[in-house]
Amino acid sequence: MAPTGRFALVLALGVVPVVVAGLAGVPEAWLALVGWLFLVIGAAAIDLSLAASPRRVALTRELPDRVRLGEPVTSVLTVQNLGSRTLRATVRDAWEPSAGVVGSNRTALTIPPAERRRLVLELLPQRRGDRRTSQVTIRSAGPLRLWSRQATLAAPGRVRVLPPFHSRAHLPSRLTRLRELDGRTPLLIRGQGTEFDSIREYVRGDDVRSIDWRATARHADPEVPGSMRLMVRTWRPERDRRIVIVADTSRTAAARIADEPRLDTAYEASLLLAALATHAGDRVDFLATDRRLRGRVHGATGPELLARMVDTMAGIDAELVEADWAIVPGQVRRVTSRHALVVLLTAADSPGSARGLLSVLPQLTARHTVVVASVADPALIDASRARGDLDEVYRAAAAERGLNDAERVGAAIRRLGALTVAAAPHELPPALADRYLELKASGKL
Amino acid sequence: MSGASTPTGVAVGTPDHGPADAAVALTPTVRSSVRRRRIWIGFAALLVLGAIVIFVVQGAVSGGGPRLGADNPGPTGAKALVQVLADHGVTVTDARSYDAALEGAHEGATVVLYDEYGLLGDDRLARLAMFAQRLVVVEPGFGALEVIAPGVRLAGAATGPLDDVACDVPTAQRAGSLSDGQRLLTVDDDALDAGWVGCFRDADFGHAVVFGETDGGSEIALVAAATPFENGRIAEHGNAALAIGLAGASDDLVWYLPGPGDADAEAAPTLGDLTPGWVSPMLVLAIIVVIAAGVWQGRRFGPLVAENLPVHIPARETSEGRARLYARNTARTHALDQLRIGAIQRIASVLRLPRTAHVDEVSAAAAAATGREAGAVHRLLADDAPTGDRDLVRLAADLTTLEDQVRATLAPATSHPEAGDDSAGRRP
Repeated sequence: MAPTGRFALVLALGVVPVVVAGLAGVPEAWLALVGWLFLVIGAAAIDLSLAASPRRVALTRELPDRVRLGEPVTSVLTVQNLGSRTLRATVRDAWEPSAGVVGSNRTALTIPPAERRRLVLELLPQRRGDRRTSQVTIRSAGPLRLWSRQATLAAPGRVRVLPPFHSRAHLPSRLTRLRELDGRTPLLIRGQGTEFDSIREYVRGDDVRSIDWRATARHADPEVPGSMRLMVRTWRPERDRRIVIVADTSRTAAARIADEPRLDTAYEASLLLAALATHAGDRVDFLATDRRLRGRVHGATGPELLARMVDTMAGIDAELVEADWAIVPGQVRRVTSRHALVVLLTAADSPGSARGLLSVLPQLTARHTVVVASVADPALIDASRARGDLDEVYRAAAAERGLNDAERVGAAIRRLGALTVAAAPHELPPALADRYLELKASGKL
Repeated sequence: MSGASTPTGVAVGTPDHGPADAAVALTPTVRSSVRRRRIWIGFAALLVLGAIVIFVVQGAVSGGGPRLGADNPGPTGAKALVQVLADHGVTVTDARSYDAALEGAHEGATVVLYDEYGLLGDDRLARLAMFAQRLVVVEPGFGALEVIAPGVRLAGAATGPLDDVACDVPTAQRAGSLSDGQRLLTVDDDALDAGWVGCFRDADFGHAVVFGETDGGSEIALVAAATPFENGRIAEHGNAALAIGLAGASDDLVWYLPGPGDADAEAAPTLGDLTPGWVSPMLVLAIIVVIAAGVWQGRRFGPLVAENLPVHIPARETSEGRARLYARNTARTHALDQLRIGAIQRIASVLRLPRTAHVDEVSAAAAAATGREAGAVHRLLADDAPTGDRDLVRLAADLTTLEDQVRATLAPATSHPEAGDDSAGRRP
């Protein structure tokens, strides 16, 4: 039960009879007050008894299952009046604040008996993950709208908000580079990291060194009897390599650098690398881990891979626990026993937190090519250059120390046989993709 | 639950037009919430009932009442005195109105007047003083003194118990002393000439009781404090003797506490008289409207929704914290060393020296590149210890300058510093 603004207003209108009666005398004024209160409260009581029950309502939801972060969602709630009176309702759909309801989420609906109305809300989710609503509150006013009845009904709903994948902007340029590597651009030089593709006829411009004389000998030219057709061998980069992306979701991933949590940067980098690698014909597996395996995408290819990856990523947030790197080699072994490119997306910037990583790296580098990708804080570089006053000098010293630490950890990782990629948040995904292309070109996959 | 059939012509989007089940209500109905909390409701009802019973019983037993009320048994009442006098044959009339008091006064009774709020007007007071044979004014106000005893004035509180009778009035002589908590009156020369006598002197400050007569010949006793008559204090010192002596001087006693009805009709108009009649009802209405509006605005539209926020930590905090740690410990040398290590590494990489190059090699190379004196560069890069904050800032700035100079001398050669290693992937 709740009074409306109209009830308070009508009560306040009692000023008129009270003043008019007050001109006649004091007792008349009190009488007018009491009479007015009786009248208004009586009307409110009748109004309340005539209000439709907010409980006799059926609710159905229509929601898209998934949406990318930054894209709008239309949430439709159908309210059906099961009672015998007209429902004059104000409806609140209790979405989480981060579901980002655009405008007010109080909607006025008037529903005659046994009819239904659609309540359309536009959502602009503000965070990735599952955005939920669990209840709908209905406030049903009487015909005079003086008092209303209120009930909260269970109506669970969920939208899975996927990571935005902003770094897909870098994909076309990397795919062009990939095509240059790939057989689609003639690649006639045999080298490391390429495998035999096909034998075709020589055309002008081909490198004469790639003419395959044995194949030429087998191909007689039917148009000019007795002569041969020149055949060349073509090469293409190796395919069907395995890539295992391991995202660290431990406490270091919770750090926000340049307004993006490390974990989100890791997701962006993973998605770009996965999109690129799946175009290049490699097989990508994704692991998210801290002290336990938080998420795993295995055996998916093509468009399904990205769909499953974003779906897995959506629900995983950083936890304030120390990463247990000892489980990572086992997890990688479970994914593949062959040589693979293992990409570790983590924070390699302080010797203390990197100790676990350094202790398991030899196990990984013994079997696989390992790339450790980490976000470098651009604010540190800025801070190390500002040296105006004493405060800034101390800050610069601390920043230099941080940079130096990161450099030392990077050197240790490289000494253990792994490769490092460190870049600012928005530059890490393309930098990692470039490193992948570089490895592919040099046949180290 | 009525099996509702969907009528046509309604804007619905759902494909299932069949009867639907009502959603599960999470808000409990009034009946069920009452049932669930019935123990508490019963407990609260019991408490309220108990409070009412205690209140009623206490009211019936103790009665309470106004200060110096003839039937007030509390510490500030005067039931003890009235009871004692009644037991000794004094007819006590508890007058609650001016007319009743005046009637008693006409019949020759002693009138005890305690006008706590100064309700009695000057004319009425003068008439009472004129008609009463004996009038005892307890705690007279300024106005009452002006009317009854001009020249007698209020003089504050007594410093302690009073045992200096200082007069030969028999009643006062019998009492001998008064307890603590008295007030004082002064009697000026004119009043002394008019026959006013002060008793129970407190040094030179004044007297606790003043006796005198009006022009009409009625005896007046002014007792500056109500203390001698109060139940709680009457047994102390000579309080009882004074009170009984004053109130029990005749067979009839009128105990008069003026009520609101005794205020003078021609007294100054009150606030209620000046405002129109509708003001008070309107104030009440305004309060009710405010409460209604408060409930309207304060009623929550369903339960709050909890949001599980992920943990995000600004990464800068580690570095900031370290900087503050340096500053607090004034670790100037340590801070400068950090800057030096960074500078040496960058200079080494600009000058294409190996990463493992010793600081002497780097400083020599930097000096050679910039043309600065080798000793000064070495001191800057390795030896100088900052002696103060100003020195630290200067050395830090010098390091930046040196770095910039080294970069500038090699600018043409290193215009694309990243051209060396980052253009990977271009070579097939």
